[in-house]
Amino acid sequence: MSENEKAKREGAIKRRDMLKAFSVVPAALIPLGTALAAEQKTSGSAAAAKAASAYQRKVFNDHEWETIKVLSDLIIPADERSSSASQAGVPAFIDDWLDFKGGKLKAEILGGLTWLDLECNREFGHDFISSTSAQQKKMLDRIAYPDKAVPEDSNYVVFFNHLRGLVVGGFFSSEEGVKDLPYLGNKVVPVWKGCPPNVLAQIEDNLKAKHVRLSLAGDEEST
Amino acid sequence: KVYDAIIVGSGAGGGMAAYVLTKAGAKCLILEAGGWYDTAKESKMFEWDYQAPHRGAVKPNTTFGYFDAAVGGWQIPGEPYINAPGTDWTWFRSRMLGGRTNHWGRISLRFGPYDFKPYSRDGKGFDWPISYDDLAPYYDKTEELIGVFGANNHIENAPDGKFLPPPKPRCYELLIQKACGKLHIPCIPSRLSILTQPHHGRPACHYCSQCGRSCATSSNFSSPTVLIPPAMETGNLDVICNAMVREVLTGPDGLATGVSYIDKKTRKEVQARGKIVVLAASNCETSRLLLNSRSTQHPDGLANSSGVVGRYLMDTVGADGTVGFFPVLMDLPPHNGDGVGGMQLYMPWWNYDRQFKNQLPFARGYHIEFGGGRGMPGAGIFGNSQRYLGGGYGLELKRGCRKLYGAFVGFSSRGEMIPNNESYCEIDKNVLDEWGIPVLKFHFKWTEDEILQARHARETFREIIETAGGEVVRTYGAEENWGISRGGEIIHEVGTARMGSNRSTSALNPYCQAWDCKNLFITDAAPFVSNADKNPTLTIMALAWRTSEHIVDEVRKRNI
Repeated sequence: MSENEKAKREGAIKRRDMLKAFSVVPAALIPLGTALAAEQKTSGSAAAAKAASAYQRKVFNDHEWETIKVLSDLIIPADERSSSASQAGVPAFIDDWLDFKGGKLKAEILGGLTWLDLECNREFGHDFISSTSAQQKKMLDRIAYPDKAVPEDSNYVVFFNHLRGLVVGGFFSSEEGVKDLPYLGNKVVPVWKGCPPNVLAQIEDNLKAKHVRLSLAGDEEST
Repeated sequence: KVYDAIIVGSGAGGGMAAYVLTKAGAKCLILEAGGWYDTAKESKMFEWDYQAPHRGAVKPNTTFGYFDAAVGGWQIPGEPYINAPGTDWTWFRSRMLGGRTNHWGRISLRFGPYDFKPYSRDGKGFDWPISYDDLAPYYDKTEELIGVFGANNHIENAPDGKFLPPPKPRCYELLIQKACGKLHIPCIPSRLSILTQPHHGRPACHYCSQCGRSCATSSNFSSPTVLIPPAMETGNLDVICNAMVREVLTGPDGLATGVSYIDKKTRKEVQARGKIVVLAASNCETSRLLLNSRSTQHPDGLANSSGVVGRYLMDTVGADGTVGFFPVLMDLPPHNGDGVGGMQLYMPWWNYDRQFKNQLPFARGYHIEFGGGRGMPGAGIFGNSQRYLGGGYGLELKRGCRKLYGAFVGFSSRGEMIPNNESYCEIDKNVLDEWGIPVLKFHFKWTEDEILQARHARETFREIIETAGGEVVRTYGAEENWGISRGGEIIHEVGTARMGSNRSTSALNPYCQAWDCKNLFITDAAPFVSNADKNPTLTIMALAWRTSEHIVDEVRKRNI
């Protein structure tokens, strides 16, 4: 069982216990039942999935839409833990975000897609999405590593930084991405216990490994 | 109908006045410029970013985003305000039952003994006409009523209180606390009005960290959940919403007879009559009301024979946005780091002794707030990942991001501003709002004391971050004026109708009663004489309680 699934199952057990507890607790605590109801109401993903499939594009044309899907999945591909960016609805997120923010960001992303096609056409004779994986990779390698890129490509590196930011932010704030990290909050916690001991121990180990002269365990400083 | 008291505003000050006065048997009317607000119904608790429009993002110059409980914001259509040339003031107003208590950070800090006598300590600013001991019993009562967690750490000028137990710290909070220990900076449980155990029929917090979305279980403090309902239950309170008060009406004897307001639905003037008028519209709105209430008896505006109404406008000094990246917090075992809505530890000001010995180049202090860790991911998460991962794409990037999650902690200071002659508001002679009411014009300046304080804060953040094994990845330097906040930005504006012991230099007496009009009282932050590095809401409520008790006493003695 993955950490994610384990955590989810733990959450479910806690919730069930809580609900059971509410049948016997005094009236003063009933509002927390409201909290649990609110929590369960918002935990359904069917509505979100429906919204994503019904998404009406506001910025990208058909070709740009296909291009952004390919780029999204090159930036965040699927693996054993979670889906790819496009499966998590990132292209729709980006389209909506560019419409919302407008301005320089929208211009830069649209312009960057145009440049990618232009450059692929010059070098390989066809658009980015019609290029082979190796050709796409070659093009991205040129602009995806700020420290290694040639100075002449600086504008395109900045474009790709921003595109990467949109894809990564869109993915990890999506339902899929939240579970991937995993973010384990946004739920009713009956008893708050603070930092779990296993996490504290890990930080302690990390401090030692990085030679940071600080100890969480006691008041003594490690040497 | 003639009410015993008309209260303008329903937030911390108005709600508390209504609570105390109705319990004493007074028939009260609250006039609120915004609409009714049902906290439980409006709450957006437990919604996900991905369920919200644009992931709940903020539209510039409006509010704090989709999830924030505030109705109102940095700009209110039809209700402009003016900045004088050279002034960059920004003004956050709520238009809703409970005002800004629906939105605030629940940080509930008492002013300490030094904070009431700042002039006596360093010769700057002004002393209050009251001392900490005068207000301490009301701090006690307020904390007991609203529920505030904290710990009695016996810190200089950060008084102990009547606290509920504090929540156990988050992981990153423990790390920062250790670093502070090494630097001899106190890092203690914060003091927030959030319930860590059931309190007066309200259930304890369920630790979803979303206080700002309005709490559906009333487990944190807001006026519509804690002050208005018991006042309503007495049967002595009427509340009229969408009532934009334009002036306090006075009779031939110069005393207040009630108020005139515009009913926003009909755009018609309505007059409400009361034996006593209590203003709690938020300090600047209150001063606007006074200055717009001109009459033969009060030619310069009500309560303004001293000319101080509008003067000595203060906000909190904020130095926000220093971020530390902590490799030791990378790739930690998954856990729920939500906790309460806000910081669970904070650093009260620790340099009184050095300032007393003239070892710091500025007067007055600040406290430090910090937050980070494994919060709910928003659309901007890992937006600058190339800074840490060197760029790239694909599986390597995906795995890298997972490791970065929770490794960032941000730091902010909240510090004292000393009142100055160049910071004030007045009525603009040319501009009306859509209710036909002349609007405010602001003048605002930081002085060297505030700017050097912001520098000290930035330097301290760096020390803390580096001591904890982190790296400063964003901060502000001299060329950006140390990233000091814009005036008004911290939403701690206070002053403009200060209390005092001399009627020629203050608008109100030591009971927040107008020198010029004995049946007029103010219970918001307008009476503040200084603005300590303690968020003002708790002091607003303690003062409002004290003022309201004074009203009850004076009525019983037939003095008003």
